[in-house]
Amino acid sequence: MRKQDRRNFLKLSAAGLAVMGMPSLGFSAGFPERTMRVFIPTRAGGGADRNFRNFGGVWKNYLGVDLEPSFYPGAAGRVGYETYMGKAAEDCHDLIFGNMGPEVLNWVVKKPSFALDDYFYFMMVDADPGCVFISDKSPMKTLDDVVAEGKKRTLTVATSRLAHPASLGMLVLANKTGMKVNLIPLSGGKNTRNGVLTGEVDLGVLPLTTAMRRKGIKILGLFDEQNLVSQHTPGAVLINPEYKLGIPPLAAGARAFGIKTAAAEKHPDRFDKLRQTGEKVFSDPAYKEAVTKGKGSWELIAPGGVEACRKYVDNITTLGKEYRSLLTG
Amino acid sequence: MSLDFGVFLDLFVDTLGYWWIIIPGTVLGILVGAIPGFSAANTIIILLPLTLAMEPATGMIFMVALYTASRLGAGIPAILVNIPGTAGAAATPLDGYPMAIAGRGQQALAISFTASVGAGLITTVAALILIPWLSQVAFHLHSVEMIVVMLFGISLIATISAEDSIKGLIAGFFGLMIGYIGADVVYEAPRGTFGFLELYDKVPLIPALVGLFAISEAFVVIERNTILSEQGAVKQQQAGWGPTFEGIRDTLLHWKEVVWTSLLGLVIGVIPGAGAAIASFVAYQQSRMMSKTPEKYGTGHVPGLIAPESANNGVTSGTLIPLLIIGVPGGATAAIMAVVLEYHGVNFGPDLFESQPMIAYGSFTAMLITYMLLGLLILPLTRYFSRVMVVPTVYMAPILIAFTLVGSFVPRAYVFDMGVAIIFGIIGYIARRTGYHVAAILIGVILGPLLENYFLRALRISQGDLGVLFSSKLGNLLWILLLLSLLAPVLRNYLARRKAGKAGDRGARDEPGA
Repeated sequence: MRKQDRRNFLKLSAAGLAVMGMPSLGFSAGFPERTMRVFIPTRAGGGADRNFRNFGGVWKNYLGVDLEPSFYPGAAGRVGYETYMGKAAEDCHDLIFGNMGPEVLNWVVKKPSFALDDYFYFMMVDADPGCVFISDKSPMKTLDDVVAEGKKRTLTVATSRLAHPASLGMLVLANKTGMKVNLIPLSGGKNTRNGVLTGEVDLGVLPLTTAMRRKGIKILGLFDEQNLVSQHTPGAVLINPEYKLGIPPLAAGARAFGIKTAAAEKHPDRFDKLRQTGEKVFSDPAYKEAVTKGKGSWELIAPGGVEACRKYVDNITTLGKEYRSLLTG
Repeated sequence: MSLDFGVFLDLFVDTLGYWWIIIPGTVLGILVGAIPGFSAANTIIILLPLTLAMEPATGMIFMVALYTASRLGAGIPAILVNIPGTAGAAATPLDGYPMAIAGRGQQALAISFTASVGAGLITTVAALILIPWLSQVAFHLHSVEMIVVMLFGISLIATISAEDSIKGLIAGFFGLMIGYIGADVVYEAPRGTFGFLELYDKVPLIPALVGLFAISEAFVVIERNTILSEQGAVKQQQAGWGPTFEGIRDTLLHWKEVVWTSLLGLVIGVIPGAGAAIASFVAYQQSRMMSKTPEKYGTGHVPGLIAPESANNGVTSGTLIPLLIIGVPGGATAAIMAVVLEYHGVNFGPDLFESQPMIAYGSFTAMLITYMLLGLLILPLTRYFSRVMVVPTVYMAPILIAFTLVGSFVPRAYVFDMGVAIIFGIIGYIARRTGYHVAAILIGVILGPLLENYFLRALRISQGDLGVLFSSKLGNLLWILLLLSLLAPVLRNYLARRKAGKAGDRGARDEPGA
């Protein structure tokens, strides 16, 4: 009951504001009153940190206050979310910024201590497709080579963590093609790249931006239906249509800001200000400059609101439930 | 990537032009190194807004200076008050602190600084020369090999518990068990966390470290008037500049120790995920194993202090190599440096040495200059630092506890971690009072999770086949070396006893009337 009420509330508030086309900034003139605190459920220096700094560095100009990140890594993001739900004030000054895919898959594997509708994502920043990559020293040169080899022997596949959209993509691919894979979780993008580069494992799966444009790495394919960065991924195939996976595009990196539902309910004007000011960042040239300067790809920046985030979460949850037995001990 | 001497000189002179950023970086590095909990990594994170605003070469040189100096600074509290503020300095008090208690704190500091500076200079030059080869090390050391490297460090438990092996092994296993608390690396399933969220990411290292060493030590020293022994207090009061020169001389006399342990540190530093803690424990264990007087280790023995300090400074240059060549940081601090460089769009790889030599080679020349500066700056301060030791414990113990509690809080900003430090302080106190070695517990806490990580990874790759542990040539060679290093003391004792027995027999035969 509670779940339905909150969803309705969010839908109505988003739809209502869109129809009216009028900002309610007048109600939130004094907001934010202090530095915005952003909980990040991964270590400093990772993909979420990089994306947050790019986005937050511009967003602060619209909010008029700084956004201060606090990092709470551990247990695949669980520590960060539990800490956020336990500590964050319900006044819209405290947000969480994470990678929706792996973090939502966490809840498929093991439910958190809080109700899942006690928070929601409201602003997606990017849609970074999952990719399959190899070392340029690998004897396999194409994804067909990988599939053929995987039918002869079990391939070791490095991944950031088991419960990750990129891992799911590889499991679906293996399922469809009959290849055998053994996922090796290496805790983070850098370790995953390293495992492949040093030859400890046969290949790897990661969000594209974590693997792309790196010395010694060749991208073989994307779990997507279009390649927006073909200039950086020569020869990479689109795995979903090519191998008829029958799954939606798998954004392995879908970083988004989230907020406590109670905060948005108590302060709809403040929530709206966050949403509206956040949207302005995407059209700010300073943001594009920050993204491109920091090795990111502007093509993969994908603004998305509450509905887009919820659709993504639903898709990944459905797929995660299907492969749950392979993601848990 | 090969660097000729003329280009090196040019870069060296160019780097000197960054003195305005190297000096503050160095001073800040010493400070954050000497304050428990304020590691170089978390200081660089705090200063990210500053470094991100700098030109990439300037930012990198600043971070390198800070990182280098912090490594050296961490030895100061480890020696004087038994607080290894970072895991890399955890092996330093084993011989440094007994020297300090005996009134040789000033000498111990001089040894630590001279060994650190010497090791830093040697390994930085070695890194510059050997970059093409060292960058390949990571390609040969996989999980299997790393398991053996970890076991080299863990075997130190057996070594330091030689006097009472049962108690030593119990302490070591207790530490290993504590090290396994937290989410496992494969399924992220929490184990032994007692429901505490704060333990999901393993037992926090700094609170455990300062609790076991410093808080337990504060509880012990409060029973005395000063940290110093009675003889030590007299010695300390009479000390002039002599102990500093004595420390420098002692280190120079053991130059071979400095060279090989620093090179060991360099190689371990190159391995991503390894780091200063492993390097210093392995160096200490190997130094003791090769020594003719292993029984002196742990009592304030000069090589026992040189080995970990040289090794952890050797790591400093090593950790930059995989970062710059293959974009894989060798350690936590290098990972933060990567963030700054990536923010500026710097592309890692051999090309970096051609396209942006001031960042690639400049990192090493900045390190050289920082070590030189440290040599000049910090050695004269040994006499004054060591005066800390004469402060009465009635003041010192509460200050120690306050500092360590703040230090426990800093890395993660959890009040919970201050409680962890106190619990580990009580565990350490009980261990000391009942004859269990706290260092054995600590080795388990530090190296246990790393061993588990590599072990589970190797088993996962082999799909549960234990034979994987003996599946690589390099791994098998390391196993043999490990076995030899464990058997060497036993063999040496056996041979010594046999020799003594023969000499005794000869003596008995030679006696008149025999």
